[in-house]
Amino acid sequence: MFAFNCPVNRRRCPVNRRRDALLTAVLAVAVPGFLVTACSGQTPVSASPQETTVSASPAGGTPSPEARRPASALAARLLTQAAQAAVLTSYQGEEIISHWGTTSSGSVLVSDIWHASGGQTITQTLTAGTASSSEPYLSSDTDGRWPEGVLGVTTQLVRLLETHYVVVYAGTGSADNRTAQIVEAWRENGSLAARFWLDDATKLPLEREVFDTAAHVISEDVFINVRFSKLAPAAAPAGGPSDPQGPWTDPLPAGQLLALRASGWLVPPELPGGLSLFTGAQTQTTTGTVLDLGYSDGLSVVSLFEQRGNLAAKLAGWQKITVAGHEIYAAEPDQRSLTWASRGMVYTVMADAPAQTVDNVIGVLPHDKPPGFWKRMSRGFSRLASWVNPFG
Amino acid sequence: MSHLGDRLSALIDGELDGAERDRASAHLASCEQCRTEAAELRALKRKLSTLLSRAPAEAAMTRRLIAMTGPGGPLPPRRRLPRLATGPGAADRRKTRRETRRETRRPGFRGPVRRRYLVIGAVSLVVGLSTAAFTAGGGGQAAPGPRITPPVEMYSVEHAITTGEVPFSGPSGRPSVADSDATQP
Repeated sequence: MFAFNCPVNRRRCPVNRRRDALLTAVLAVAVPGFLVTACSGQTPVSASPQETTVSASPAGGTPSPEARRPASALAARLLTQAAQAAVLTSYQGEEIISHWGTTSSGSVLVSDIWHASGGQTITQTLTAGTASSSEPYLSSDTDGRWPEGVLGVTTQLVRLLETHYVVVYAGTGSADNRTAQIVEAWRENGSLAARFWLDDATKLPLEREVFDTAAHVISEDVFINVRFSKLAPAAAPAGGPSDPQGPWTDPLPAGQLLALRASGWLVPPELPGGLSLFTGAQTQTTTGTVLDLGYSDGLSVVSLFEQRGNLAAKLAGWQKITVAGHEIYAAEPDQRSLTWASRGMVYTVMADAPAQTVDNVIGVLPHDKPPGFWKRMSRGFSRLASWVNPFG
Repeated sequence: MSHLGDRLSALIDGELDGAERDRASAHLASCEQCRTEAAELRALKRKLSTLLSRAPAEAAMTRRLIAMTGPGGPLPPRRRLPRLATGPGAADRRKTRRETRRETRRPGFRGPVRRRYLVIGAVSLVVGLSTAAFTAGGGGQAAPGPRITPPVEMYSVEHAITTGEVPFSGPSGRPSVADSDATQP
C-alpha cells in the first residue's frame, strides 16, 4: 500500500513517521511483556500435572468485552452435580493442593482420602507444613449440614460461584486418565478466574485451577489415583481420645452470626473482593470462645477467627511482617495464617485468595493505631511510676 | 663594745624614745660599723617606700589596658589555683586580686562551675527520664484477657472444611484412633 511505501522522503514523510512510531510502540509493549512472561516464575496458564486435552480458552491476561460469554445452564448443572457427587459418591484417592498466595514459594498439601457415600470421611495428610498434622482425621456428617466437598466444590460455594462469576461449559478433556467435563468461571471483566475438570462418569471434581486477575495461577488442586468403590472406610471406633481442639458448633446461618455483634464480636457481612459471609461456627478452647467466620465469592475463601484476649508475648513459629501498612504476624513456613491483636481481640486470618484480596481484607479489619507522642509519654511515666512504687 | 642590734632598725623607724634615741645616736657617732648598717637600712627603707608608692599607679594602668580590650576581646587569663599567701599584707593582696577579677569580668560571662554542673545534671535527668518513659510507653496498651497463641492446626482444619478443599465433614479435626492402614477399604 502507498501508506507503507512512501517514496517521496522516507525520513520526513508523515506516513513513514507514523509507521515508525507504531512499530516503536509495538516493540515497547511486546518486548517487556515477553521478558516479563519469560522471567515470571508462574506461567499464565500452567500445565496441569496430569495430561489434559483442553479445548478451553487460555486464561486472558487483558480483559476484553469480547471475552465475555453467556452463562451456561449446562455448566451450572455440572457444578451442582459435582458438589453432590462429593457427598454421595464413595471414593478414595490422593489430593494435592498447591497454593501460591502471599509467598512466592507457595504451599503444597497432600492428603489421602477415603470417603463413604453420605457419611464418614478419613483424611490423612502426608506432606504439609507445620500447620497440618500427619494424623488421620475422621469426620462424619450424617445430616449433610457441613460444607463437604472436593477441591472446593461444595453446594454453598457453587451457589456463590454462580452469583459472582459467569460459569460456562468448555468442552471435554481428561484428568487423571479419565474423561472429564470442563467448566470455566469467568469474571465480569472477561478474565478467566477458574477452570474445573469434572469426572465424566461421576461428576466428581478431579482438578481445579484458579487464576488471579493477572492470569497467574494462584491455586492448582488435583485429585489423582481416584478409585470409586462402594466400600466404606472402616467404621470409626466408638469413643477414642478426647478431642484436644474442641468441637465446633454446627454451621451458623448468616443471620445468627450477625446477631453476635450484640455480644461484642466483629461480624462484617462482607469483606473486600466481593467476599460474602456464608458460614461460621464457634468452639470453646482453654483460653475462651473462638468464633470462625467464613467469607467467599465462590472461589476465594477467607476464614476469620476471633478470640478475646491478647497475643502471647512470644509467638513461636510466627514472624512479624507488614501487610497493608500494619504490622502483623505470619505463621511459618507458608505464611498462610496471619494474626494480630486489636482492642482486646485476637484476629487470625487464613485465606485461599489472591494476595491483593488478602491485603485488602487485612486493611479493613481493626488495627491498633500507634499512640501519639504525649499519650505514649504519659503511658510511659505511668509505667515507670508503677515499677518503682513499692505499694503498686 | 656592744653594737645597737635590733635597736638600730627601731632607731631608723623612729620608734625609740628620748633617752634610748640619745644613747643610740651617741653610739652611732663612735661606731663605724653601726653607721654603715644604719645607712643600709635607710636605703632599703627608701626603696620600699618608693615601691609602695608606685603600686597604685600600675594597678590603674592595668585597669585601663583591660578596659581597652572591651567585649569580644581576649579571654581573661586562665584561672590558677589560689596560692596560700602568708605574711603581712597577704590578706589585702588576696582581696585586691578578687576585686581585680570581679572588675575584669565581661558581661555574659558564665556562672560558676558548680552552677553549670547543676544545670547539666538537671538536663541529663530530664532527658533520661523522658527517654525511659517514651520507651516504656511503647508496645501498646495491654488489654485484659488471656494471652493467646493462635492454634494454627485447629484453624487449618476448620479452614479446610470451610473451603471444601479437603472433604472433612462434621465436627472437625478429630484425630482418628484407627490405624490408617486398617481403615483403607
